[in-house]
Parts: sequence; C-alpha cells; structure tokens
Amino acid sequence: MMAALALLAGFATASWAAPVPKEIRVGTLYASTGPFASISMPAYDGLRLWARQVNAAGGLYVKPYGRKIPVRLIAYDDQSSTATAATLYNELISRDHVNVLIADSGSVLTSVAVPIAREHKMFLFDISGTGKPFFTRDNPYIALMSLPISTLWPSVQADFLDSVGLRAGIRRVAILYATNDFSGTHANALAGYLREAGKLRIVYDQGVPTNTSNYTVLINNIAATKPDAVIELGFPGNDIGFLRALHESGEHFRYVFTLFGGFEMHALLGGAGAAAMDGTFTYVPAALYPYKVNYGPTLARFHAAWDAAYPKGSGVPWGADGLMGYMTGLVVQKALATTTGMGQLDLRRAVFAQSGKLRTLAGPFRLSRDGAQIGEMTPVGQLHADGHGGLRLVAVYPPAAAKAKPVFGK
Amino acid sequence: MRKHPADLILPALVLAAFAVAPFLYSNELMLFNFIAFLALAQGLNIVYGFTGYLPFGYVGFYGAGAYGFALAVMHLHAPPLAAMAAGAGAALLLAVILLPLLRLSGAYFAIASLAAAQAVYEVVSNPALQHITKGPYGVSLSAVFAPRFSYYVALAILGVAFALVVWLRNSRFGLALQAIREDPVSAGMAGVSVVRGRTVAWLLSALVAGLVGAVFAWHISVFYPDTAFDLGVSIFSVVFVLFGGATTLTGPLLGVLILYGVYNAIGITVPQYFQFIYGALIVGLVLFLPNGLVSLLTARGLRVP
Repeated sequence: MMAALALLAGFATASWAAPVPKEIRVGTLYASTGPFASISMPAYDGLRLWARQVNAAGGLYVKPYGRKIPVRLIAYDDQSSTATAATLYNELISRDHVNVLIADSGSVLTSVAVPIAREHKMFLFDISGTGKPFFTRDNPYIALMSLPISTLWPSVQADFLDSVGLRAGIRRVAILYATNDFSGTHANALAGYLREAGKLRIVYDQGVPTNTSNYTVLINNIAATKPDAVIELGFPGNDIGFLRALHESGEHFRYVFTLFGGFEMHALLGGAGAAAMDGTFTYVPAALYPYKVNYGPTLARFHAAWDAAYPKGSGVPWGADGLMGYMTGLVVQKALATTTGMGQLDLRRAVFAQSGKLRTLAGPFRLSRDGAQIGEMTPVGQLHADGHGGLRLVAVYPPAAAKAKPVFGK
Repeated sequence: MRKHPADLILPALVLAAFAVAPFLYSNELMLFNFIAFLALAQGLNIVYGFTGYLPFGYVGFYGAGAYGFALAVMHLHAPPLAAMAAGAGAALLLAVILLPLLRLSGAYFAIASLAAAQAVYEVVSNPALQHITKGPYGVSLSAVFAPRFSYYVALAILGVAFALVVWLRNSRFGLALQAIREDPVSAGMAGVSVVRGRTVAWLLSALVAGLVGAVFAWHISVFYPDTAFDLGVSIFSVVFVLFGGATTLTGPLLGVLILYGVYNAIGITVPQYFQFIYGALIVGLVLFLPNGLVSLLTARGLRVP
C-alpha cells in the first residue's frame, strides 16, 4: 500500500511539476560606445565572467526545479542611448522572455528600465543606478545591488568632514559638481548633510556641465572663496580635468576629494598622473577593499579569476564596475537557489530575504523596503603616491574600516 | 483639385496595420518608435517637402513638446490629454519665437534652427531651473504612465500628420507652397502670400513635432533633456525624408519603414554593421537617387501617393 502511494506520489510529481527549462535566460544591456561605456562594459564583463563560471560548474541551481540549469546571458548594445535602451529592455522582456532582467550600469541607462520593468511586472536587478526616484514604496519591481542609493552615499564623507575634518581644522567647504543625475544628486545630498549638521560652512556650491574639461577658471573662483576642503564630483573625465588643472594651478587646499579617484584609479592615473592625485581623498571601492564574505569568492580569488579570464592586453580593465556586475550575478544566483517559485515577485521575495544576511565581495547586502541599497557604505580613503608612478588607496573612514589616519594638507 | 484615392488608402492601411500590430508583435515600444518617426518624418515633410526649408533643429519642437507635457503634469497636475495640448502649445510658441529664422534660407536656415534647438536644450537643462524643469536631472512622470493608451494617441497623431500632408498635396494652399519652394519671387508676383504660406507650414510642422514629443514624454515617462533634445531625432527624421523622397506621403513612409527597420533589425544585435550599412545606403542614395526612392517612379512620370 505504502509503495503504491509512493509510486502514485512520484507519478503525480512527474506529471504536474512545471517542465524544467533547458536554460535560465538572463537579459541585460551594455554600452559599447558613448559616455557610459567606461562604466557599462566592465560591469557587463563581470556578468559574463559570472555566467561563464556558473555554466562551467554545471549551471545555476534553481530551487523550484531542484536541479542545476545552464544560464544564457542575452545582451544587447544600447550605445549609451536611453531611447535605444528603452526599446531593447522591451525586446528582452517581450521578445526574449528573459527570466531575469538586469539593468545597464548607471542611473541614466537604468532610468528607462524602471517604468518598463514595472509595466511588465518584471523584477529589475539594478546594478548601479542609484537615483532616488527609482525607489518608491508602490514599485516592488526593483532592487539596487551594489552601490548605496545616491542620497545616502555621501553621508559617510559628510560624517568624516564633520568629525575628523572638523578636529583637523576644516571649516570651509567648496563643492563643484557636474550637472548629471549621478553627481548632481550626490552633490545635493552631500550639501544637505553638511548644512543639516551645521558644523561646516559651504562657501562654494556650483554645478557645471558634464562635458566641462577646462577647470582652470573654476579653480581660481574656488580659491577666491578660501575653502579648506574642495570636493569635486563628476564622471572620470571631469575628475581628470579638475585634478590636472589643480595641479597646474599651484593652488593647494587642505582636503581635495574626487568621486572616481578610487573607482577609476587607473583611468585617472593615466589622465592626471600620480603627482596630481597624491594626497587626495576619494571613495574606496569594493575592488580595493577586502570585505568578509559569506557567499561567493573573496576579493583575492575574484581578482585572480578576473585576471585569468581577462589577462593584461585583453583590453578589459580590472576595477569596481566589473566587480559590481559580477556581484549582481551572485545575487541572482542566490535568489534562484532560494526562491520558492519562478514568478517575478517570488524572485523579489528571495532577493529581499537576503537583505541583512548576504555578504559578498561588494560588502554587506542590505535593502530598504523600497529596494534601495543601504548596506554597502563606501569608505572614504586617501591616495598616496607609491614612488613608482602608481598610487595606493588607504581607507581612512569610518573607523571600523580605516586602515590609516588621514593626512590633511597644510 | 483632383482627388487621388491612393492618398487616403495608403495612410489608412498604415494606421490600420499599426492599430493591430501590438496584438501581433509584443515589443510595443519599438512599434511606438516607428509611429513617432513616421509622424515626425511627415511633420518635417510639411516644412521641407512643401517649402524647401530643412530645419536641422527640428528636434527643438519635439523637445519643447516633451517638456511642455512634463511641466503641465508636474506643476499643474494636468491630465495627460490636457498636458498633450500644453506640449503642442509649447512647440507652437517656440515656432512663433523662431519665425524670424524664415528670413534665412538654405544652409543658413538649417544651421540657425539647429542652434535654436541647442539654445532651448541649454535653457531646459540649466541646473538653475531645476525647480521648474528638473534641470539636467530628468523628469519622472510615472503617475501618468499609460503605455497602451499613449500608443493609440500616438497613432492618432500620425493620422493627423498624414491628413495634413494629404491636404497639402491636394489643396490650392499646398500648390502655393510648392510654388514658393520653387521660386518665391515668381510665386509672390503671381499673388501667392509667401510669408503667410511659409508661416503656416512652419507652424503645422512644429505642431506635429510638438505633439509627437508630448506623446513620447507620456509613453516613456522617464527622460532627460539629452533624450528629449537628442540630435539623433533630427538626423533620423531628415534622413528618413531624404531617403524616401519629400513632398509625397510614400517617401517618408518608405524611409522610416526601411531605414528604421534596418536600424532595429541589425542595429540591435550588431550596431557596428548597422552604422556601416546605414552609411553605405545614404552614400548610395545621395550619389544615385538624390530625390529619394520615390524618384525611381516619379522620374518615369508616375504619380506617387
């Protein structure tokens, strides 16, 4: 009797279980050209590395099917155009019927994905689109993976200046930013934190077009306000232009901060040089900070895998963006391994269930209720010339992450 | 004027095809983009095909329409259809402001219109106007996001654009415009009001672009000034009209269906090949068919709708 029941149960399971797909389709976009290529391509390369590793290990373990299934990465080139990206996100959802949708890097190319994903009830894995408007209580179809939301991100630097900076004599702050969604929001949030604390005085707060390359006059204007701290927020091209002009101007400020000094250190090193960057402050990206992990490889192992996959001369740079793409793959992997169903809201529940638990090479993963990333607080670090034309980036704040004390200029 | 049934049948067929297309092809945004470019190409056809003015800055009206819509939604909480009217109004206002440009001609007009569009873009994206336009940080209109409804509104706008071109092709006014295009002095001597004719064509063309921009803003709901004032919109529209052949309904239609079709078929997967093929097509066209594809038929004395 028991054997018959067992046989019946087995038969029922075999007959009624959903058919196992031959592949899990992961859809994403990348920008091979245009202003976002420098952040998009490495993230896509990180995702490709993740997919290759997963398939080499027999595929993704998908809990609802109880087995490993190969992953197929479907990717289109949006060429940094939001109009093209919108069409292509639709293509991934409506024509390719992807199981998992991953946005292109950065806020601009993510922005068009947000309403489209929501309209199609598709959960959006947002790699690095940190724009605050993306995350609202009434939209359950998004979660930010690997960077803190833009309004929260600058809080670390504001705390640093309000505490350590203040003790070191920093009183007057100048903020110069490129007027794009990313650095503009960042600048406004930073100014908001500083004003709210009321300990430091903002003496200069100016936005310039993102295509600004000559900062000579701007630096003169800033110097005229006699700031102790100068914070320049822009894309890598802005940082290079600013650092070069500052170095050539002969002006000295006690604290100089650039947004991409750590994230795109090699690009800035090539554009501005070690001398111009020596002593400046920046964020310490996960690619340069070994977080403790409980899922996926450590930073060292990932770096080794990256170098093996993309050796020097391959044209694929090592850096923070690649790590963010790879880390997004890890979250997808964990979600599929724990989800109770293959519906998009099931996937969302699986991702949110990891909030506060998952720790990857990008740091602690923690989501707010509206899907914004609030776990990965990027430390502030200081760059020091290594004497061989290169730079070292050392975390200086917050105290829990600090590896050295900051050295302020005179 | 003699009536030509084909002038009505062709647009009716196109409109019917796009009305059922979302039920047959699931990438609705791609279909929407086809409709938008079809309408823009016909809108450009009105001013270029019938008066000879080629505004490289045509995107300025499109962007004005998009931002007119956005401002009405954000600040006046206008319902989408009323905001559409605001978008059209913004484009018309811009067209009135730019009326003096019509005193220029040829390349001077083309470049001046481009500069004007760039000037509007700079104003809209100015961070100092963030409290009004959201500056360079883009607008989000998720509260009015209604892709299916806005798709059919776009189709209605395409119908309006078709109707305007059909009217111009079959009316005395359209003939007067063509006379102005060929020789404004002779047309004026013959009693045609040159200034009035050009002004009306200019405003109608701007109206179409403004409506398309407004419905684009509604359909996509999240966009940046770079998107709304993307020069690519102008370039595509101009190339589509030139490729197919101006002054006809069929020319811009063929231009959009072929070139935008190629763009979507090849450009999605291998954009490098797309640029190569696009370039080769345009070079071939300029060398061998300077009056567009329809000239293959019109050169033989055939009337093309």
